[in-house]
Amino acid sequence: MIYDSIIREQLVTGGKTAADVTRDISRPILNKPSMAWKVGFTFAVIFLGIFGLSLFWTLWTGIGVWNINKSVMWGWDITNFVFWVGIGHAGTLISAILLLFRQKWRMSINRSAEAMTIFAVICAAMFPVFHMGRVWVGYWALPLPNAFGSLWVNFNSPLLWDVFAISTYFSVSLLFWYIGLIPDIATIRDKVKGKYEKFWYRFFSMGWTGGTRTWARYELISLILAGLSTPLVLSVHTIVSTDFATSIVPGWHTTIFPPYFVAGAIFSGFGMVATLLVVARKVMNYENYITIGHLDAMCKIIMLTGSLVGIAYLTEFFIAQYSGVEYEQYAFKNRAFGPYWWAYWSMMFCNLVSPQVFWFKWARTTPWFIFIMSIVVNVGMWFERFVIIVTSLHRDYLPSSWVMYSGSLTEVGLFLGTFGIFFTCFFLFAKFLPVINMAEIKSIIRNRE
Amino acid sequence: MIDKNLSLRNRRKLLLGLFDDEDKMVAATSALVHEGVKIQDVYTPYPVHGLDRIIGARRSWLSIVAFLCGLTGFSLAYLMIWYMYVYDWPMDIGNKPERLTPSWVPILFESTVLLTAFGMAFFFFWRSRLVHGIKPELLDPRQTDDLMIICVESGHDVNESQVLDIMKQNGAAELRTRDGGVSTVI
Repeated sequence: MIYDSIIREQLVTGGKTAADVTRDISRPILNKPSMAWKVGFTFAVIFLGIFGLSLFWTLWTGIGVWNINKSVMWGWDITNFVFWVGIGHAGTLISAILLLFRQKWRMSINRSAEAMTIFAVICAAMFPVFHMGRVWVGYWALPLPNAFGSLWVNFNSPLLWDVFAISTYFSVSLLFWYIGLIPDIATIRDKVKGKYEKFWYRFFSMGWTGGTRTWARYELISLILAGLSTPLVLSVHTIVSTDFATSIVPGWHTTIFPPYFVAGAIFSGFGMVATLLVVARKVMNYENYITIGHLDAMCKIIMLTGSLVGIAYLTEFFIAQYSGVEYEQYAFKNRAFGPYWWAYWSMMFCNLVSPQVFWFKWARTTPWFIFIMSIVVNVGMWFERFVIIVTSLHRDYLPSSWVMYSGSLTEVGLFLGTFGIFFTCFFLFAKFLPVINMAEIKSIIRNRE
Repeated sequence: MIDKNLSLRNRRKLLLGLFDDEDKMVAATSALVHEGVKIQDVYTPYPVHGLDRIIGARRSWLSIVAFLCGLTGFSLAYLMIWYMYVYDWPMDIGNKPERLTPSWVPILFESTVLLTAFGMAFFFFWRSRLVHGIKPELLDPRQTDDLMIICVESGHDVNESQVLDIMKQNGAAELRTRDGGVSTVI
């Protein structure tokens, strides 16, 4: 039964028709790149260059150019890995979990969030891969027969689970994203004029014509993929958290890690989606598609997950005290009041305290403020991973191996460089593919239930 | 394996009703089905829910295929871990048991998901005749933009004027016939 919804607010404003949607969303693809795009892309490529240089130096000299040492064997690299994997969670969350919950507001933001997922996972994968040192034997992480005997990989190790989880997550997210793109690529195919453009859009549109049977299968496959991706997205960060939780390092060996990491991942992912979309809706004139209502909904999720993460911080602290284990107690005391206190309190402020401003409607509906808050969230989540990794490792059971750690220039360069990878990919995506899912938006512009 | 209903090649004359409104198109489709007309396909720029049931398309087998692919993924992963870890080169790590343990779960799960997703996607592409680079059989370039097209194949049991009338009465923006790849506006 189809009826006009009078209760809900319009998801897309401005009284758009299907033809308007096609015109508005394919405009950046059909026209020459704008000045804003050129400037942004140039900056992204500069950062990509920084990544190239830092990576070259790392490979040329060896990972001795990083400041990691025998106690703090994971430093900025694994911090950055977990940071980027976390960011990569919002895309699948938006497209899968919100699809299962029939949250139609996701339709304006799912495409760009999924793209973000893919680019963030690429950035994330750089760190464990290059942390191997001899990256040319990286394939040893795969379950292949070993060249020096019949030894196989260790199936009890969370690091191997990570190999499976991250590669599955990346490939399934890519597939989900691509299947969602096919109808829109077909729309662009029927609009572009140039010979080469026509060839490529025709190639990737796979002969899509929009027949009813194909749409029915398409809807079914989207639903099943969403059903699969939901436990997948939860499993990935759970597995990343077991990299820490299955060890016996004080501060890591806790059962709260999986849910706490997943909440943190959603929190940081939405932070990054907000950063990108607040800018994109302004620059690309998508204010009718990504409305204040969308930003409002995202802020509510940021506030909820920020509070969940905050409760996890406090629970960890309490349990450390309550357990009576002096190593655990020391690890947490050291986090808050030891030499890295500034990182701990930055994390507490950015992740627990600051998102509470979203209780106020003004904060949830003012784009420039949301932009600032989204940066604060991202900074906070980076500090969270830094705190977990570095403060736990730098003082463990043996005081003689206590050390201090700070990232070297190369490590900083690699981290900044991954922003280059991320934004270069994102700018190319915004130029060549529709940033908003046109087909889905066309089905909701009339506000039908 | 490919859904034969999809291709427009080797068809007799096609009767096309072009609509710019979803409600009118759905009404026309229902009216045609009510009159016993077999609808070849309805092309829409976005998914119109329930339309597949109106035109009498059968429910897809995709969910069953997905389940079978999932089973395959799970079995292959189980076989792999068992072969490498129990049969070929058993490893004693921290004296942990080597037979099926909770530590196998992550890899079994990830492999199940991976094979389900890709198996299902390949089946979807195959069945829906979606191949990289093929020439799309478009009836009108606007069918991926804002136009909906009801397509009926002519035959002995099809009363052409009745079909076109029903489409017109239900608000078709334009009526066309297509014979041998050439469209004619009526």
